[in-house]
This record gives sequence, C-alpha cells and structure tokens, in this order.
Amino acid sequence: MEITLTHYLVLSTILFSIGLIGVMRRKNLLMLFFATEILLNSVNVALVAISHYYGDFTGQMFAFFIIAIAASEVAIGLGLLVLWFKQYNTIDLDNMKSMKG
Amino acid sequence: MIEHILSILIFFPLVAGVLGFMVNKDSIRAYGIAVSGIEFALSLLLWYVFDTANGGFQFTELMPLIPAFGINYQLGIDGISLFIVIMSTLITFLGILSLTEKRDIKNLIITLLALEMTMVGVFVSLDAILFYVFWELSLVPMLYIIGAWGGPKRIYASVKFFLYTFTCSLVMLVGMIFMAYLYQQATGQWSFSITEWYRVVLPMNLQMWLFAAFFLGFAIKVPMFPFHTWLPYAHGQAPTIGSVILAAVLLKMGTYGFVRLSLPLFPDATVWFIPVVVTLALIMIVYTAMVANAQKDIKQVIAYSSVSHMGVIILGTFALNIEGISGSVFLMLGHGIVSGALFLLVGVIYDRRHTKIMTEFGGLASIMPAYATIFGIMMMASVGLPLTINFVGEFLSLMGIFKVAPMYALVGGLAIIVGAIYMLSAFKKVFFGNVTNPENEKLKDVNRTELYGLIPLTIIAIWLGIYPKPILDPIDAAVRENVLNIMYQKIQTDMGTEAARELITDPYAKKPEIVIPAPTKKHATQSHKSEGGHH
Amino acid sequence: MEMFVYIALFAPLVGSLTAGLFGAQKKSLMVGVFASGMLFTSFIASLLLLVQVLQGHTFHVEMMTWIKTGDFNVPFGFVVNEVSVTMMMVVTTVSTVVHVYAIGYMDHDKSFNRFFAYLSAFVFSMMILVMSDNLLGLFIGWEGVGVCSWLLIGFWYHKESATWAANEAFIMNRIADLAMLVGIFTLYWNLGTISYEGIFATVGTADHGMLVTAAAFLFVGAMGKSAQFPLHTWLADAMEGPTPVSALIHAATMVTAGVYLVVRMNPLYDLVPEVGIVIASLGAFVAMFAATMALVNRDMKRIIAYSTLSQLGYMFVAAGLGAYWVALFHLMAHAFFKALLFLGAGNVMHAMSDELDPFKMGGLGKPMMWTFIMMTLASIALAGFFPLAGFFSKDLILEVAFVGGHPILYTVLLLTAGLTAFYSFRLVFLIFTGEERYKLFGFHPHEAYKYMLIAMSPLLVLAIITGFTFKGGYYEMVTALLPAGEYHIHNPIVYWIMTIGTQLFVGAAVLYAWIKYKNAKVDKKVEAGFFYQLLFNQYYIPKIYDEVFSKPYAELSKMCWKLDNTVVDATVDGIAHVFYGTAEKTHTMQDGNLSSMLRWMVIGLVALIVTAVIFIGITVNADAIMKLLGH
Repeated sequence: MEITLTHYLVLSTILFSIGLIGVMRRKNLLMLFFATEILLNSVNVALVAISHYYGDFTGQMFAFFIIAIAASEVAIGLGLLVLWFKQYNTIDLDNMKSMKG
Repeated sequence: MIEHILSILIFFPLVAGVLGFMVNKDSIRAYGIAVSGIEFALSLLLWYVFDTANGGFQFTELMPLIPAFGINYQLGIDGISLFIVIMSTLITFLGILSLTEKRDIKNLIITLLALEMTMVGVFVSLDAILFYVFWELSLVPMLYIIGAWGGPKRIYASVKFFLYTFTCSLVMLVGMIFMAYLYQQATGQWSFSITEWYRVVLPMNLQMWLFAAFFLGFAIKVPMFPFHTWLPYAHGQAPTIGSVILAAVLLKMGTYGFVRLSLPLFPDATVWFIPVVVTLALIMIVYTAMVANAQKDIKQVIAYSSVSHMGVIILGTFALNIEGISGSVFLMLGHGIVSGALFLLVGVIYDRRHTKIMTEFGGLASIMPAYATIFGIMMMASVGLPLTINFVGEFLSLMGIFKVAPMYALVGGLAIIVGAIYMLSAFKKVFFGNVTNPENEKLKDVNRTELYGLIPLTIIAIWLGIYPKPILDPIDAAVRENVLNIMYQKIQTDMGTEAARELITDPYAKKPEIVIPAPTKKHATQSHKSEGGHH
Repeated sequence: MEMFVYIALFAPLVGSLTAGLFGAQKKSLMVGVFASGMLFTSFIASLLLLVQVLQGHTFHVEMMTWIKTGDFNVPFGFVVNEVSVTMMMVVTTVSTVVHVYAIGYMDHDKSFNRFFAYLSAFVFSMMILVMSDNLLGLFIGWEGVGVCSWLLIGFWYHKESATWAANEAFIMNRIADLAMLVGIFTLYWNLGTISYEGIFATVGTADHGMLVTAAAFLFVGAMGKSAQFPLHTWLADAMEGPTPVSALIHAATMVTAGVYLVVRMNPLYDLVPEVGIVIASLGAFVAMFAATMALVNRDMKRIIAYSTLSQLGYMFVAAGLGAYWVALFHLMAHAFFKALLFLGAGNVMHAMSDELDPFKMGGLGKPMMWTFIMMTLASIALAGFFPLAGFFSKDLILEVAFVGGHPILYTVLLLTAGLTAFYSFRLVFLIFTGEERYKLFGFHPHEAYKYMLIAMSPLLVLAIITGFTFKGGYYEMVTALLPAGEYHIHNPIVYWIMTIGTQLFVGAAVLYAWIKYKNAKVDKKVEAGFFYQLLFNQYYIPKIYDEVFSKPYAELSKMCWKLDNTVVDATVDGIAHVFYGTAEKTHTMQDGNLSSMLRWMVIGLVALIVTAVIFIGITVNADAIMKLLGH
C-alpha cells in the first residue's frame, strides 16, 4: 500500500484532535505544553506533506519556522512555568485566575 | 479679520473658557457674562455684515485638514444658520446673565462656554466630519451639566441622554462615510464637503438608505416620536440653565440637520418618506401634547410641550415648499426663544420652592404678579397667539403642509387646540385659585437677575411676532437658494416620484454635475463589462 | 384723514398699555378715566370716519409688512369701508359706555387697573378684527379677543368656576380657530391671496367645491366665536366674568364677530348658497334652542346670555339667506339693547351683592327705578315691539325668511320671538315687580351711581331710536358694499297681518309671563317634569361634553403617559437592558481560568469554521440553490 497525501492528512487530523482535546481537558500546565506541541506538529506534518505533494518548498520552510518558534516558545514557557512553580508550588491551571474578568 | 469671523465665533468661547480656569471664583460670573456678551455681540456683528439679500453661503473658510480623505475645515453661513447661531449666543448670554445656580459656578460657566463653541460649530460647519465632530462634542458639556448639577436621578438621565443620542449619531456617521465613498466612486476623490455633496445626484435606493441613516441621527435629536423618551428625563433632571439650552438650541440641531442635509442631499427619498415622517410628526404633536396634559410636574409639561412643538417644525420642513420650510426655520427660532423662556420661568419657582409639582402651588397670580404676567405672555406665545413669535412659524408651517395634503394640516393643527388645553390647565393650576399652601404666601416676585433673562426674551417674542421681516427675508432667500434650488435641480422624475416635481415648484434650470447611476443588476453589469472588452 | 384710522385703532391700545403699567399698583381712578378717554377718542375718530364714509370716501391704509415669504405676503392693512365703519361705530360706542360704566362697577375691586388694561386691550383686538383688510389680520383680532375674553372671564381668578369657564371658552374657540385656519389655507392655496380684495376679485372664477370647503371651514370658525351649536356651552359659562365684560364682549361685540365674518365675506357666501342654507338652518335652530333654555333658567346673567345666543341665531339666519345688511343691522341694534340689558343686570347685581337668582329679588322697581325703566325698555326692544330697535331689525329677519321662501325657518323664528318676549319679561317681572322677596334674604338694594346711569343712557337712546332713525341711512350706506335687497312683502294685507300678528303674539307672550310670574310662584309639578329638567340642565349638553370629551381626554392623557413610560420608554430601556443583561450573564466566561478560556476559544474556532463552510457552500452552489427555490 502506497502512502498517499490522504494518509498524512488523516494523521495530521488525528494528531490535531489529540492536541485539541489535550488543550481543552488538561489541567496541568506542563501537559498543556505537550498538547500544544502536538497541535503544532500536526500542522507541521500537514504542511510538509502538502509541500511534498505540490513540489513547493514553501510549506517545508514554514514547518521549519514553526519548529524554531515552538522551540523558543517552549523555552520561554518552561521558564515561566518554573518561576510560577517556585512561587506557588503548583502548576494546576485552576489556580491561575488572576486575569478574571 | 472679518472674513474669519466664523472661526472667531467658534473658538472664542473655547479659548475664553480655558482661560476661565485662571479667573478666581468671585469674578467668574462677571467673566462669563462678559465673554458670552462679547460672543453675542460678535454674532450681531455677523448679522450686520451679512448680506441678507444673498441666499448663498457667506464668510466661507476652507482649510484642508486631512486632504487624502477630503476632510476640510470648511465653514460658511447662510440665512438659515445665521439666526440659529445668533439665537445660540443670545440664549447662552441670557442664560449666564440670569444664572441663579449656586453650586460650583466656575466649572458651570466654563462648561457653558465650551457648549457654546460646539453649538456654534454645528451650525456653521459645511464639512460633514466637522459637523459630526461638533455634533458629538456638544453632548459632552451637556452630559456634564446634567450629571453634575442635575436632580436626584441625574446619572440615569444623563447616561440615557448620552447613549441614546450617541448611538444613533453613529448610524449617521456611517451614512456620512458611505456618502463620501459614493462621492469617491463617482469622482475619484474623497470629499466630506457638504457643498460638494450638494452636487451629487444619487439613485433612489441609495438615497433611501442614506436618508434613513441620517434620519435616525436627526430624529433622536429632535426628538421625534418614538425616540423622544430621553428628553423628559433630561429636562426633568437638568438644572434650569441646562434645560434652557437643551430646549432652545440642542434640539434645533436635529431639525437644522434635516434642512441642511437630508432635504438637499436626498430629495427623492425625502419625497418618498414624507408620509412616514409626517405621520410620525403628527403622532408626536398630538400624543406628546396629551402626555403633557397628564403631567404633574410643570417642567415636564413644558418638556413634553416642546416635543409637541418640534412636531410642527418637522411638518413645515417636510412641506417642501418655501412657505413651509421658511416657516419651520422661523419656528425653530420661535421655539428656542419661547421654550427657553418657559424653562427659565420654571426655574424661578423651583429656586424658591424646590419643587415643580403643580399641586404644590396655586394662586401665585396674586403673590407674584410680574412673574404671572411674563409667564402668561410666554404661555400665549407658546400656544401660538398671533403677534407672538411662534404664530408666524406655526402658521407658515401648517400652511406649507396643507399644500402637501390638507389632512396633514388639519391633524397637525390640532397642536393649537391640545397645546391650549395643557398649557391653560397648567397655568390655572399654578397661578389661579386661592393660595392654599402657606409656604407660597411669602414667595418673592421675580428678582432683577431673573428679569435680565426674561425681559429680553419677552421683548423678542413679541417683536418678532409683529415684525418678522428682518429675519424672515434672509431665511427665505437661503431656503430658496440652498434647499429648494438644490432639490429642484436634483430631483429625478423617472424614479417613481413624479409627485416630487409638483411639490417643489421653484423653477431653476441649472443641472447637477455629478450623477451616480443606479447600481444595475448583476447580469447587466457583466454584459456591460463584456462590451467594454470588445472595444 | 388716514390719521384717524390709526387713532381709532391705536387709542385703545394706548389706554390698555397705560393701564397695564399701573396694573399691579393700587386702584387709581385716573387709569379708568384715561382708558375711557382713549376709548372716547377712538369713538370720535370712528365717527369722523363714518362721516367721511357717508360722503363716499373709503380708506385703505397699509401700515407695514407682516409676514412675507415666497408668494405669501400679508401686510398689516386696515380698511375703513361701509361695513367696517358700522362695526367700528358699534364697538367704540358700546365700549366707551362700558368703560365709563365699569369705573363705577369695578369701584371696589382691588384689581381695578388691571381690569381696564384687559378691557381696552379687548377693544384694540376687536378693532383689528373689524378693520383688517385681510383674513389673517382678522385672525389676529380673532385670537386677540379670545385671549382678552380668557383674561376677563377669569378676571376673578381665585374663583374656580371663573378660571374653568375662561379655559373652556378659550379652548372651545381654539377648536373653531383651527377650522378657520384651514379655511384660510384653502383660500390661499387656491386663490393665491388672503386679502379681501384679492379674494373677492378671484372668487368668481374659482372651483365651486373649493369654495364650499373654504366657506364651510370659515363658518365653523365663526361658530366658535359666535357660540353656535355645538360650540355654544362656553358662552353661558362665560358669565362668570364681571358684568361689564359680559355686556361688551359676550353680548355686543366679540360674539358677533362670527356674524361679521360671514357678512364681510359675502361675495364668497353668495356663491355657495348651499352653505348659506346650512348657516340659516343652524341659526334658526340655535335661536329656538337657546330661547328654550332661557325660559327656565334661574340665573339672571345666564338668561341674558342665552338670549344673546338666540339673537345670534337670528343674525345667522339673515346672513345665511344672503340678507347681509339685515344681519348687520340686527347685530348693531342687538349690541345696543343687549349691552343695556347686561349693564342693567350689573346694576341689579351691584345692588344685591352679586346675587343672581331672580327668584330672590322681586319688587326692585321701587329702589331702582331708573334701572327698572332701562331694563324694561331694553326688553321691549329685545322682544321686538314697535317702535324700538328690535322691531325693525328682528321683524326684518322674519320677513327675510318669509320672502326667501323658507316657511319652516319663518315659523321657528316666529315662535322664538314669542319665547324671547316671554323669558325677557319673566326676568323683568321677577326682578322688578311683585313681592319684595329680597328682604327675606337680607339684601339692601340701592340704585347705582348716577354717572353709571348716565353712561348707560346713550345705549338707551340708541336702543329706542336705532330702528326708525338710522335704518334708511344705514341701508343707503352699506348697500354700497353689501348686496342690496328689499325684503318687503308686497301684498299689503299679508304684510299688515304678519306685522300686527307678530306684535300681538309677542304681546300675548309678555302677558303670559306677567300672569305666570307676577307673584314669582313656582309650580313644583312643572319643575319636576321632564321638559323642565331637560331645559334647566341645558339639555344635559354640558354634562355630555364633560362625559364624552373632557373626562375621556383626561383619561386618554393619563393612558398616553402610561404608554410612554411602559411601552415607548420601556422599549428603549429594554434594548439597553438586553446589552446590560448579556454582559451580566456572559462575563463569567472571562473567569481567568486558562483551561476554560481555551475551551471557549475552541468553540469560537469551530463556530467560525462552520460559518465559513456554510457561507462558502452557499456562494459556490448559489445557482443550484436558486434553482431549488424555483427561480
């Protein structure tokens, strides 16, 4: 069986859904980061697959950008997380309500 | 110097008002009187140098503000706006002159001067954006006056006043931007200049939308039924000076807007909307007069009565003949003078008794004879007695609308009956009968400060009733030139408004220059394009 | 001579303003004297103008432009011609007399000065009404007299009934004024002018239907001022005002303005006989209707007021049938004897401490001989006995109806003449003859001041001689302007039978009144009867108006107010509350919890995608969908 574009897209969709559910359900900030990573990578998969399909490198370039940005974002995010944990001793999302409207 | 008189008129009160912060508390009153007096004198000077035989715009000033979007600082004045400006400065002057308010008088006077700037600004702007800016700015000082010096429910009243008028003005702003966009589509240039817009002929369906958008903005300000409910609250809570200016000048912005913008810009839509607008005006006349009849508070009676009278102004405006429009513009002045005076008069007893409920009074005619006399004269002016200022306007307005349909005049004429009913019964409750409340027995008659405001208004109310010519002539010329002429040029007979030509009978031959074609159906546009392709 | 036109017009204004200046001050005899002097000046000027008019000169002056816009141009223009000078004479004569009389009558009133300010202002308005050369000028006077009437009826403003009556009169007149305005509008838009000259010049070629409309609306205006049914109730209530006011305004001058309008607009009414016949029929009806109410009333002034109403009906019959000069003549004669009657009643009231019920009087002829004589003569004139004024003017109207071929009108008017004689002499007998019942109530009647009686005497003389001295000259003069018409019954036998018959009939009515009321006996059985109650309660019309108009209007007003608060305003507030409520409900979304915010974000994303998909689907498949919908 040849692996076609469809398979990649299905994979991407499944990953996206997992990520989305993770974003919605997880209460732990660390897990939220993981879920975000999954979301981003699902998009990366789709971008690279479509880029390959069209023979256009723009999509792959975008994927690299996303990987780079995701890496820096995680770096900053984890830094903040550690700071938060040091201060409050928890990384449960339900405790982060200082932005209440 | 004299060619910039309009700019001076606008900005003098503002500058003087800002300087007023430096004046100390004891002399602020004299300062306010002096500034508004000079402003009034300047407006009289404007009348003196104004060429009354010329119906066009005079003392025009033009300075680009945002050239890319065609927004200019464009001013000009004609017979219609001239007298409203004079009335604004006069009312402000007399208001400050007879000010009896004690609380925080410094801020009050500075606010009044700021308000004066916006009022003059609205009436002399010939650029839609400038007009809009002044229009909205005028809300702020009034909001402050009601909110800071008002009665117990002042916050509710002022917020209602602000939100209500502001929301609907936004719709008008959208209309203005759309109008400018249409202008840009037709000519390739942006322009918000009202005189430029006068040259534009719009297709019927666009006119309708634009008319509706402008109508909403103006109707709230008038205030037309059913958008009038902010007014009684505002009047009920506002201090005397606030009510005076609100009734005398701010309401006129709405009717002025109709004359200045709606009629000449959208003539076909105006004709199409006559039955709707006139019906609303008729309901407004009779309905609010009846509501006035049911009031217990004398100030509310006058507040509702002023709504009722504004209905007659609308009737005159939408008569679309020279008698009607001139009459309605004249009635704007009359209404300003008379309702301003009536609110001042109510202020007199409110200052003394701190109540406005009519049953608290009774028999005041024997205790305050001078007060009763002035009130009586103004009441008679308000019900439109001949030889008072209101009669001229009311008569001409009703006569104008009679031409459109006799039935309108017959129903609108009920104003003179229902008006007499609520006014006379209110007068009877307050002034006639025996003095039953011992608190009233020692009331002092009008004092000198109050007379400063009342006497000039009384004299004007009678003088202009006997000899309206010096004011009616310039109005007449301006209505001819800036309203009917433009409407006549632009009105299109092939859009189902054949009646329009019959209504607007002033024969002028000049053709409008910018015609925006009606947007055609999709298929037609496509075929148009394909034809273009062939060439 | 034009100077005299202005003097005649403005002298009362000067008097009024001067009196007004002293309005709030203590009573000053000088004010009354000055105002009366000004009136007398006006009278002299009018007299001189009359002499000129008799010589064939008429005057037309234009003082200044009043309202001018577009094609509409109305000046303050005044015209003195045969008709207006007649009215000017009537107005100035009666008002001079009343002014002098009022100096005595209002002697004890603390608002003496104010009274003269109002009274002279009234005369000024009346002069404008009469002299104006256009309909709008007439309207100034028309409304002006309305206001003065309001001020004067409510002169004793502490009395609830007086102020109520004043407001009623003003509002009822306003109803008619609206009709009048509509009439003016109609004429202006169709004829392009509202000056009499202009109207008369173009009226002949105008559309008939339009003329009917205009004439009808103008007549409705006249009905208000002349208190014709159904706008009549205010006149009787207006008797709350001081008696000189009743004499001047509500008998001699203002209420006849309606008749004057019809007479003045005669070229218009000549063209619309169908309106004329309605006017005449209504006039005859009112003549009878008012006379019946006068029969049983127990208020001296109201009786005279109903009599005025009835006589106005007579005038409208004449005017409606095209006998304008007859109407004007009766107007003039009526002004004299009715004013006299009222002033006499004023004397009685003065003597009786403002008592109005004639059943409490009786036998006043002794202490008040002169008043007795004057009122009797006035009543004779009113009843139409030869050779007093009423005989010449009122019988002429009967003849007009007869000759014009309107037997029903004639019969009604004839019967009314009998009723008139009955109620006027009922009043005279009750007041002046018989037992001195007033003693029971502790009154001490006294004759009025001498100068009041002297002031009344010109009216007495005029009431007696107007008929046989002026009629010929008057006819000569006014027929220069009004359509001439001799309403003679050519058959001498019929003529004499009718004339003598009428006299006998009227005489019999007086005799019946004498028999019935010489002892002021009250028949309880009759009083309890249906007809008596019906008449005594003025056909229950005031009550009906109260129930049908006043109260529902007040109720409706209250409902409107409620509507304003609960529906119109509530809608606006409702819209505001929707926003406010939405915010209140939804602000919990922003609970600061990252997890729930992310959830909302996802929901929003999904909603947007769904919308986009649907929208794209529709645009892409637009043609297919349109086909599906059947286009």
